[in-house]
Amino acid sequence: MFKVMLIKEFKLVWRDKHALAALFIMPAIFILIMSIALKDTFNSDRSLVNYAVVDLDKTGQSLELMSFLESDKGLHCYSMVLANPAERRRALREELDFVVEIPAGFTERLLRADAERPLVSLIIYAAADIKREMLKLFKSRLAGGVLRLRLTDMKLTLSPLLPESDLDKAAAKFAGLEFDAAEIARVRFNDLAVGQKPTSTQQSVPSWIVFGMFFVIIPLSTIFINEQRQNTLLRMSSMNVSTPLLFAGKIVPYMLINQIQVWLMIAVGMFVVPLFGADALTLGKSLGGLFMVSFGLSLSAVGTAILIAVSVKTVEQATTIGGIINILLGAVGGIMVPKFFMPEVMQRLAEISPMSWGLDGFLDIFLRGLGPESVMEESFKLIVLGVFLLLVAGVVFNRKMRLNV
Amino acid sequence: MISVKNLTKLYGDITALDHLDLKVGSGTICGLLGPNGAGKTTLVSILNGLAGFQTGAVEIFGLPLTANLKEIRRRTAFIPQSLALYDNLSVRENLHFFAGIQNISGSTLRRNLDYAISVNRLDEILGQRAATLSGGQKRRLNIAIGLLNNPQLIYFDEPTVGIDPESRHQILDTIRTFRDDTKTVIYTSHYMSEIEKLCDEVAIIDRGRIIRRGHLKTLLQDEQSDSVVLELLSSSLSQLDEIARKTSGLKVITSTRLFLLDQNSLKMGRLLSLLEAEKIIVKHIRYGSTDLEALFLRLTSTGATDV
Repeated sequence: MFKVMLIKEFKLVWRDKHALAALFIMPAIFILIMSIALKDTFNSDRSLVNYAVVDLDKTGQSLELMSFLESDKGLHCYSMVLANPAERRRALREELDFVVEIPAGFTERLLRADAERPLVSLIIYAAADIKREMLKLFKSRLAGGVLRLRLTDMKLTLSPLLPESDLDKAAAKFAGLEFDAAEIARVRFNDLAVGQKPTSTQQSVPSWIVFGMFFVIIPLSTIFINEQRQNTLLRMSSMNVSTPLLFAGKIVPYMLINQIQVWLMIAVGMFVVPLFGADALTLGKSLGGLFMVSFGLSLSAVGTAILIAVSVKTVEQATTIGGIINILLGAVGGIMVPKFFMPEVMQRLAEISPMSWGLDGFLDIFLRGLGPESVMEESFKLIVLGVFLLLVAGVVFNRKMRLNV
Repeated sequence: MISVKNLTKLYGDITALDHLDLKVGSGTICGLLGPNGAGKTTLVSILNGLAGFQTGAVEIFGLPLTANLKEIRRRTAFIPQSLALYDNLSVRENLHFFAGIQNISGSTLRRNLDYAISVNRLDEILGQRAATLSGGQKRRLNIAIGLLNNPQLIYFDEPTVGIDPESRHQILDTIRTFRDDTKTVIYTSHYMSEIEKLCDEVAIIDRGRIIRRGHLKTLLQDEQSDSVVLELLSSSLSQLDEIARKTSGLKVITSTRLFLLDQNSLKMGRLLSLLEAEKIIVKHIRYGSTDLEALFLRLTSTGATDV
């Protein structure tokens, strides 16, 4: 008896191509995407960090510091002239993770600083969405370079004082110098006020808002298919309800639901997250920008949901395909793996994911405190995609209604 | 009321309706009969404007269908076989929703709601969620939704499928009241007894063509045939299927009813011997097409040509 039950179950699964997709193809694609996205993370030959140096010191030591950084295969130095702060800000939004500014007199003061002549710190300008681990890694490499400069100098200074008996005297020469690693480099985050730091809440909440918004795919498509199955949609058609009106009856409520989601998740970030010891979410300066991005995201999500709903036949297919699309868009779009961890090919692929557009827009608002003009492009792309998906869904739906009766 | 001329509908290479003609007068309850795949649903879908067609002309209320679809739909109702309603809404909410999407409001809404509720006896269950209703109550709600625009023409697609006899009677009583209200009804069903009890006219459709149409009594009188209906006392379907394999023209209708096409004394004698051998007692033998079921089976079995 058990044998026939087993055979029956295998046959049912084998004949259900959507179940097969969920069980085998989805994990395979997911593994593929995640492996490609993360393939260089543990590969020491690959440059994880992109940076540029603005050398105002122009000494032998500053050059030595630069060549020390360049010798690290994990770091990739961009040779670019960043003549003014605007260029630096642009570069940090687009291709760079860090810009290191070596101020005039840095190495001289580093080696000879005392009470009257305090240390002049390096300045690290970091991209606002940089992960803390990445910043720590870069700072430690930089500190290593500075330490190397100091050791070289110590060696040069101590050599004439040998023999060993005179070491105490030599050491006294450096006694007045306090070596505080934090003083070596000061960090300033791009687009943020001096002293302001991006928090993990600011960095992660936008991702989960984007991901959450796309979950409307499942309830929307499920209800739509039930209506199709029970002929409620057919009945509405016979009552002079046109396809645009029918779609509008879906789009508007689900876009409102999306707005409720956005504000609920923001409220969680602002009021609940701090209760667990993490930093509270701050809203940024632009409610208009926030609305533009969330409107575009919502339209894309609802468009995707309706297209799925009109393209499949059963609720099971809708939940399976909807779930798969949601996860894949999230994986490709930088929700699960930050885009800067991905190789270039994957980063380019991420640019076609609506989740990536939405995420970039939200990061501009939440993290960088930018205004509506900075999210125009992302919002426009999302709206165009949403409208396109709805148009395709309309064509598919009308065709299906004609053929099904 | 309805005038269909030379209607052809193709699904790719498949001909669903083949130069079909049909006329239904105002205030008539017309039964549309046909085997599965005969074209009933396609015809009703075209009449509702839910499907297009390749050739032919359709007029409803004297108006060409395609050019006046919105106006025609305002005066008609389609009551599908499936329960096209929302389980998670109450009876009242369902009625208000479907009235709302048809822009019915004010005194018209109140009047039409009262009519739909009273005719379908929904007064006591208005607050109940549709999901909690019995099969019969859901069917009645399904019909009530169709009456919200006070239609002059109503299409019913198998409205009594899967419900208990009491609910079926209630629904048939409701449909009878439409005759008094001079509403026209197109009624498709597989239950011949319902069609016989309810309909003034019958149209039998087979392979995309109307093969017979007219007043039921006249049709039954006019159709002379050599077919025979045998009523049996008791038997099993497996026994009858075995006998049907050995007898050409024999159809098993139920475990107590057989239909023999083109009978003659030799064929009849052989059949009675086979029944006797299986110890099946014949209660009654009727010669000629005396009921709709027999007429329907004969016409659709022989591939009768259209009228």
